[in-house]
Amino acid sequence: MFYTVIEQIVNGIVSGSVYAIVAVGMTMIFGVLRAINFAHGEYYMLGTFGAWFAIDYFDLPYPAAIVIGVVATAVIAVVVGNFVMQRIVGAPAEAGVLATLGVALILQNTIILVFGGSYKFFSGGYIEPVSLFGFTLAEQRILIIIVGLIVFVGLELMVTYSRIGKAMRAVSQNIECCAVVGIDVRHVALWTFILGACLAALSGVLTAPVNVSVYGGMGELITFKTLPIIIMGGLGNVRGTFVAAMILGIAESLVATYVGLQFRDTVGFATLMLVLMWRPHGLFSAQARF
Amino acid sequence: MTIELSRRGFCIGTALVGLQAVSSSAFARSEDGTVKLGLVAPMSGPNARYGAFSLRGAQMAAKEINDAGGVGGRKINIMAGDSQGTPVEGVSATRRLIDQDQVDFIIGDVSSSVTLAMQPVAEDAGVLLLNAASSNPKITYKAGVGGFKWTYRNYPTDENRALIVLQYAAEKKGFTKYAVLSVDSDYGRAAIEFTKKYLPRFKSQILTEDYYKEGEVDFRSVLSKIRDSGAQAIIMYGNADSTPIVGRQMTEVGIAGKIPLIGNAEFNTASSIKAAPKALEGAIEAAAWLPAYESEKSKAFVEKFTAEFREAPNNHAYVHWETVHLLAKAIEQAQSIDREKVRTALSNIHYASAVGEVTFDDHNQARLPMILLEIENGKPVIKGAYSAEIDYPK
Repeated sequence: MFYTVIEQIVNGIVSGSVYAIVAVGMTMIFGVLRAINFAHGEYYMLGTFGAWFAIDYFDLPYPAAIVIGVVATAVIAVVVGNFVMQRIVGAPAEAGVLATLGVALILQNTIILVFGGSYKFFSGGYIEPVSLFGFTLAEQRILIIIVGLIVFVGLELMVTYSRIGKAMRAVSQNIECCAVVGIDVRHVALWTFILGACLAALSGVLTAPVNVSVYGGMGELITFKTLPIIIMGGLGNVRGTFVAAMILGIAESLVATYVGLQFRDTVGFATLMLVLMWRPHGLFSAQARF
Repeated sequence: MTIELSRRGFCIGTALVGLQAVSSSAFARSEDGTVKLGLVAPMSGPNARYGAFSLRGAQMAAKEINDAGGVGGRKINIMAGDSQGTPVEGVSATRRLIDQDQVDFIIGDVSSSVTLAMQPVAEDAGVLLLNAASSNPKITYKAGVGGFKWTYRNYPTDENRALIVLQYAAEKKGFTKYAVLSVDSDYGRAAIEFTKKYLPRFKSQILTEDYYKEGEVDFRSVLSKIRDSGAQAIIMYGNADSTPIVGRQMTEVGIAGKIPLIGNAEFNTASSIKAAPKALEGAIEAAAWLPAYESEKSKAFVEKFTAEFREAPNNHAYVHWETVHLLAKAIEQAQSIDREKVRTALSNIHYASAVGEVTFDDHNQARLPMILLEIENGKPVIKGAYSAEIDYPK
C-alpha cells in the first residue's frame, strides 16, 4: 500500500517534470508579452518531429536528434517571433489570443500536410527499464527528471544574474519604465519567446521515446495541460510553475490509480477552476501582478 | 422585432421547402451513368490512419470493378467525406454527401460513435448506409426489424468478439481474473459491457476497470495498479496507436510477459510487436480479418494492395475493399441503382467474401466469422475462426 503510494508519487514527479519544462516557457512568455501562447504545445510537437525526422530519415543517434529537434524549433521560433510575437508587445489581449491560435493552426496543419496525419513511431531514446530504490523506471524518465532540474536551476540563475534575465524580469514588471531606461523591449520579447519555444521542443524530444507516437495534433493536449499549471503557479512566476507542475503531475498520478484513469484529465481542469475561484493570482503570489 | 423574426423564419422555412423540392426532384440522381458512392471515414485527426486505409481499400475495389466494365455498365465513383472521427463532423460529412454530392449509397464510418450518429441522417434521406468497420452492437440492434431500414453492416460486432476472446482465454488459458484497460469511447466501453455479460458463464471476474482517453500517453499508474491487483490478463479494446505506448510501459513496470493483453487493439501488427516485443508476447486478439489469413482471395488482395501502395493493408483497408465489392454485387443483382431494389438485393445476398460466405440477418447484420490469434515468439499465430449468432435484446 505504502509502496504503491510512493511509486505513484515518483510517476507523478516524472510527468510533473515534463509539464514543468513546457510550462515554464509559456509562463515566461506570458510575463514578458502579457499574452497566453496558445501555440506553445505546437513547439513541443515541432521539437518531437524534428528529432523523429533526424532519426527516421538520416539514421542519426538520439543525442544528435535532441539537438536537431531543438535547433529546428529555434529557427521556426525566430521566424514566428519576428513576424508575430514581437507585434503582440503592447497590443490588446485579444490580439495575442488570436495571433497565437492562428500560429498554432498553421504550424499543426503544415506538419500534417508535409508528413501526413498518421501516427509516426519514434524509435530513439533509452527505454530500457532500470531499478532504482525498488522501482522500475525507463532510463529515459530519469533523464527527464535530471534535465528538468538542470533547466530550472539554469533558469533561476539566468533571471537572477544574467543581463538578459534581469531585462526579462524588468519587462515583466513594467514595460514603460524599461523603455525609459533603454531596455529594448521587443528584443527581450523575441529572446524570451525563442527560449520558451526551445524549452517546449526540448521537453517534446525528451518525452518522445516514452510516448512512442508522434503526430501533428500532439501539441494541443500539452497546451491544455499547461494552462492550469501556469495559472496555478501564478502567471509569469518561474518557481511557482515548477511547484504547480509537480502538484499536478502527482495529483494526476494518484487520481489515475485510486479513482480511475478516465478521470486523469479532469484533475487539471478541476484545479484550474478552484484556483480561479479562490486564488486567481496563483498559489504562490501574494497578490495579482497584472 | 417579433414580426422581423417570424418573417425571417418564414423565409428560411420557404428556402428549406424549396431545397427539399430540389433534392427530391433530383430523383434520378446518377443520370451521368455512374454509381455515386460516398465514403465517410476519419481522413484527419487521431484516427486519420484508419481513414487513409479505408479510402485506399475502397478505391482499389472501385478501380477493379471499373476496369472490369463497372456494375451493369456503370462506373463506381467514390466520393470521400471526412468525419475526423467525431460524430459532429461525421454527420455534416454525411449531409454534404447526400445533399450536395447526391450520392446513392454511403459506406462509413470506422468509429462506432460516428456511425451511430450517421444512422438517422441516412434513414431520413432514404440513402443506404452500409457500414464496413464499426463494431458496436447497438448499430444493428437498431437496424432492420430494430428500426433503421437503411442501415446495414458488413462487420462482426463487439459482442461476438468479447464472447470469443473471453471463451478462448478461459478455456484455453485458464484465466479467471482480469483487469480492464480500454479506450474511453462507445467502442471501448461497449466491448467491456459485453464482456461482463458473459463473465458468469466462465466463472470469471474483473478486478480493476480503467478507461483511457484517446491520446493518453501515461499508463504507468494504472499499469502498476494492475500489477498489484493479481489480474491474470488485461482486457484491452482500444486504438492501435496506444498499443505501443502501453506495451513499452508494461515493460517498464515489470509486467511484460507476465500479464498478457487480450481483446483487440492491433496487437498483431509488426509495428506494435516491434515497439514492445516482450509485452506483446502471448497477446490474444480477435480480428475480423488480418493480412496473414490463409485464403486465396485474401492473399491476392494483400499482394495487390502491397504492390500498389508499398505498404501492407490493415483490417480497415480490407473491409472497405470487400464491402465495395459486396455493394457492387448487390447492385448487379438488383439490375438497377434504385435504392429500394439494391436494399432488397442486399438482404437476400449470398456473397463469397475472403473469410467466408456473407448473408444478412433480420437486423441487417452480416453473419461473419472472427479470426483468433495469439502472439507466439514475436509472430501472430492464427488459432482458428469462430462465429456466434447474436442474441438481440427483446
